[in-house]
Amino acid sequence: MGVITRVINWARVKSPWVLHFNTGACNACDIEIIASLTPCFDLERFGVVLKATPRHADILLCSGPVTRQIESRLKMIYEQMLEPKFVVAVGTCACSGGVFKGCYNVKAGIDKVLPVAAYIPGCPVSPKALIDGLVKLLNSLEENKKREEVPCPLKKI
Amino acid sequence: MHDSGEVHIPIGPQHPSLKEPESFLITLRGEKITAVNIKIGYNHRGIEKACEERTYIQDMYLIERICGICSHSHSTCFVQAVEEIAGLQVPPRALYIRTLVAELERVHSHLLWLGVAGHEVGFDTLLMYAWRDREVVMNLLASLTGNRVNYAINTIGGVRRDVSANTLEEAASAADILEERTKYYIGIVTTETTLINRLSGVGKLSPQDALRLGAVGPTARASGIARDVRADDPYAAYAELKFKVVTDNSCDVYGRTVVRLKELLESISLIRQVIKNLPDGPIAVKAPRRIPAGEAVSRYEAPRGEDLHYVRANATDKPDRVKFRPPTLANVQAVAHMLQDRYLADLPIVVAAIDPCFSCTDRLLSLDRGGQIEKTVLTWEQLRQSSIEHYQREGIDFSALNKKLADKM
Amino acid sequence: MSAEENIKQALENTFDYLKGAVIIKRERRMALEVPAGNFAEILKFAVLELNFSFLSAITGLDNGDGFEVIYHLNKDGGVILNLKIRIPRSGAHIETVTPLFASADAYERELMDLLGIEVKGLAEGRRYPLPDEWPLGDYPLRKDWKGNLSANNEVKNA
Repeated sequence: MGVITRVINWARVKSPWVLHFNTGACNACDIEIIASLTPCFDLERFGVVLKATPRHADILLCSGPVTRQIESRLKMIYEQMLEPKFVVAVGTCACSGGVFKGCYNVKAGIDKVLPVAAYIPGCPVSPKALIDGLVKLLNSLEENKKREEVPCPLKKI
Repeated sequence: MHDSGEVHIPIGPQHPSLKEPESFLITLRGEKITAVNIKIGYNHRGIEKACEERTYIQDMYLIERICGICSHSHSTCFVQAVEEIAGLQVPPRALYIRTLVAELERVHSHLLWLGVAGHEVGFDTLLMYAWRDREVVMNLLASLTGNRVNYAINTIGGVRRDVSANTLEEAASAADILEERTKYYIGIVTTETTLINRLSGVGKLSPQDALRLGAVGPTARASGIARDVRADDPYAAYAELKFKVVTDNSCDVYGRTVVRLKELLESISLIRQVIKNLPDGPIAVKAPRRIPAGEAVSRYEAPRGEDLHYVRANATDKPDRVKFRPPTLANVQAVAHMLQDRYLADLPIVVAAIDPCFSCTDRLLSLDRGGQIEKTVLTWEQLRQSSIEHYQREGIDFSALNKKLADKM
Repeated sequence: MSAEENIKQALENTFDYLKGAVIIKRERRMALEVPAGNFAEILKFAVLELNFSFLSAITGLDNGDGFEVIYHLNKDGGVILNLKIRIPRSGAHIETVTPLFASADAYERELMDLLGIEVKGLAEGRRYPLPDEWPLGDYPLRKDWKGNLSANNEVKNA
């Protein structure tokens, strides 16, 4: 792995830029994601910065079970992100569809549409679980960096 | 529709602070909005149909998740309809516990809204303060019910968990803290001229239009419409409790802010009344698995306004039909009217002021210049930023206020 | 006399065919089924004379034989009048009530999308709540729709 890749990975691990996208969720997870950025939990101390455009993001935090209407927009957002990029399924709906599995307008899980690097379950995910999950993801990116491998999507944490 | 000089802006899914998808097709002439076409339905999941295929108890868990901000509202509204059909007499203690959770939910929701509204206009310190204070409520709800959100406190016939004396003490202390904080926010909103100027005259909705367009909740009450299901059609323990229906005559976003803050004070008073007067007794009556044939309409005053559920039972363990009309569906139809002839810069706060509870959108700017159409991706964040800059040019700037409050944090 | 009794009397005195049809289920809950052909005049009376100034929602449902459409009207004091009409399944249609209640727009579009009831007189607009690509002819809330999309679409609920 070249020097440039190592620098980019280091920057990515030290300060991941995160895009949040709701694929038809009830909002509970989305609120908890935002709550994670407010003073009591303060995700920013880990260097996590919430971005508003896909082109600036390394990590796509997805909530929701993926409704039909939102599916093509989800793919479009993912395509606009530059490699390497990681998708995190936040909340039980994003992991498997949750209570909405079986509903007619729902694909039931982000991994039906995109490759998922990390699954953080919870209904909703608590800010502590979210922080834990993100830190684990970042640590394994760090691990991969040390092993001088190209970062790749992880198995379920 | 395609005059030269008119710009069409579709504003669609993916928005950091609303956290919900909706899609607005805006037609602009210069900077003024001449037409608004709203498309919703991005988080239509097929819940009503799923309810027919699941039992009543399973449906409670599903219905709680229609919306994660007012989950107790939907759950209680549903359960009330089922209890009415089955002729169940819910014990008073259960009704009081439902009321306690209901008012705590209103507090967390209004504080959440306050922070979001601050963010929309560039007053980010307000977001941080309001959401920090909101954690007081979240922790209390977690103590009371076991979860910060999606409380699963209801069962058909009552509630699933009792409250201990300790938790009631915790609730009483929380009420004291929240009252002090709310008064602080009321102080800011009524004295900081930057905020008053930014929010006044924006999103106007006359009382006649509020009725005609079917607005509910704080959106309608800020136009003087004194409708509140807790007073008009009392449910849970409200018939026995004292509270004011808060209205305002500003008919604008400022009015909606004032209404929500004063409602916080009413909620805190209700919470104290529940703690003081909580009756003894059982927390649930036994409910039959098969609900006898019948139908009922249940209403509930969610933080956003009137929530209505209709249930039809057919003597089996699954409902024949469940219909819910959440408050935002009633309010979103008034938004197009509120944006008419307003600046694009007003859009973020006007939409946020109905406290929308649907899912998010992304934005595409489609420029029509004499027949040539270019497409650019314009995010909500860019719209919010340009809205803040627009008002900075008009002399409304929150940088000083942000700093002043942050220094005190 | 209670508010509900007053409303019942006003309706039954004005419209002979409603004698005995107005039901008071409990306080603040009334129900009335009217023949579809008379719906417009009853609605107008309820709104303009009896001050049912608010349409809370419209529920459509499939009862197996045909459709029922229930208009949940409410007024100051909290009384709800559930005004119901029955319509046959084939060629199901109703007239829009948007001239009286602009907010009925979304509620009527739901009836169109989810049950396939045609709403005559409704302004041009985008469908709600189903996605644009949802096939016409698939009405999820009909009792005979079991989750499999017709024609070229993937099977749901696999």
